Amino acid sequence: MELKNLSIRQLNNLFVDKKAKPSELYSDIFDASASSESLLHAHLSLFEEKNLENAKKSDKRFEKGESTGLLDGIPIAIKDNINIKGELTTCSSKMLSNYRSPYNATVIEKLNNENALYTGKTNLDEFAMGSSTENSAFGLTKNPWNTEYVPGGSSGGSAASVSARSSIGALGSDTGGSIRQPAAFCGLVGFKPTYGTVSRYGLIAFASSLDQIGPITKNVDDARIIYNAISGHDALDATSIDNNQTNIPFDKSAKIGVIKELMEDGISDDSRNEVSKVLENLKKQGYQIKEVSLPLIKLSISIYYLIAPAECSANLARFDGVRYGLRVEGKTSYEMMQNTRAEGFGDEVKRRILLGTYALSAGYYDEYYGKALRARKKMIDEFSNIFNDVDYLISPTTPTAAFKAGEKTSNPLEMYMSDLCTIPANLAGLPAISIPTGLSKEKLPLGVQIMSKPLTDLSLLNFSEIIEKEVDFNTSPEGLEK
Amino acid sequence: MSDFDIKNIAKLASINLSAEEQEKLTNDLSIILEHVQALSSLELDTNIEDVFIHPLEKELKLVEDIEIDSLTHEEALSNAPESKDGKFVVPPSME
Repeated sequence: MELKNLSIRQLNNLFVDKKAKPSELYSDIFDASASSESLLHAHLSLFEEKNLENAKKSDKRFEKGESTGLLDGIPIAIKDNINIKGELTTCSSKMLSNYRSPYNATVIEKLNNENALYTGKTNLDEFAMGSSTENSAFGLTKNPWNTEYVPGGSSGGSAASVSARSSIGALGSDTGGSIRQPAAFCGLVGFKPTYGTVSRYGLIAFASSLDQIGPITKNVDDARIIYNAISGHDALDATSIDNNQTNIPFDKSAKIGVIKELMEDGISDDSRNEVSKVLENLKKQGYQIKEVSLPLIKLSISIYYLIAPAECSANLARFDGVRYGLRVEGKTSYEMMQNTRAEGFGDEVKRRILLGTYALSAGYYDEYYGKALRARKKMIDEFSNIFNDVDYLISPTTPTAAFKAGEKTSNPLEMYMSDLCTIPANLAGLPAISIPTGLSKEKLPLGVQIMSKPLTDLSLLNFSEIIEKEVDFNTSPEGLEK
Repeated sequence: MSDFDIKNIAKLASINLSAEEQEKLTNDLSIILEHVQALSSLELDTNIEDVFIHPLEKELKLVEDIEIDSLTHEEALSNAPESKDGKFVVPPSME
């Protein structure tokens, strides 16, 4: 079997047993990108030479029996809104097309400590705002399963890269589903950890109370390995928390809730069928399953599209042509800022900044932003009550499988609806994972989402692994060979 | 959305918009704002004090007040569109 198709643990075993070398894996991965990049455009930049040197250093560590752990020599793709010192971090925006990071994000420092390698930086919707990677200023990414379809977004480049085997795993960021939705669309595992357990330091902020970095991988164990490496309290992120995990049952004593509101209108038969298939399987294994209701979930898009743009309008105020990024000249500083922001931001980013500015403006704050915050609090209370009753919540990850490029670009609201199932976990700070379970009628991957209460990430991963084993989904795309 | 003044919002957000953009964005934002009106039917606790910025923690940890390594002056200026004598250069504030 080719090295690029193996899991992190399998690769590490081969390296430890001296049956393969990290530099061989790195070459394998770069051969894969050489054939897939022109077709898919998963990466915005590739780091081949620099990391080949690092791969050779990994070779030596394994030769001497001095490897630093499971991620030593493993090539990981990094979403291009995460800073790697000395490299471009463009956020797929004209605004930052020449921005070279002067520091490492905490997740990169942590991966450096493990001697992980980087394939390069991956494409995303501009500033992580979007659900299809069509909002990139540098061109869209295509779905490896069928290149007429989007890979999802905003971490579409990361997902396409893992799916096409041009990386072993990838980091994405998830504000309303941006890890889980592309993972589902590309037939992969996508994990959004409990808010605050992975540092956001060095992640270019979109909506700070919702953003969370996490892995996109071929299987649950790879996601666990990357999560263990990147999580932990970080003094450089004021919202970082101690990752004190609680264990909840994941064997047959675990209680499963299926969310009624996410199995109703607006969800395709294909997506519903995947959930039913998993539930049937769990029932056979002896798990207790019950239907639960979270009425506020139906309003989550409304809550999200007030809170996220409000935070975005504040966070993106920093792009003013003064300290970094694009500058478009003007006679005065103010004119320069207006011109810079007009030219530097794309349509979706402008839409969200303006929406957020409006929601926060005098006279409207209480009606919009204030109301959304209070509704968010109420939704968190709904989740807390449900988790007194069940351990895990199951739903589709997405209302449908991947859609065709261009299909939803003219209607922002329709695009926003594709995050219906994933947004609630961000609003409530919950850990949530998408695991691939099957294919739609069009032979495109579909995922099932599982959520659990805060700080039960590791139990959630263990439970997901049980489903993964039973479903036995082949994550290798067929579309790439077309 | 009769009171939606796109020009004023764009001014607050410091973004120049073309006439075409103004028309398109007014339309888009009206649709989105109409959708979020669904929240108006909710009965909510009006005590804003209960509202938080972190979905899980009521109190966040403070960092110890100790000196740590940070960006050098040069690094901080390395991405500036224009700098001189260790400072950012900007056009005049008034004409």
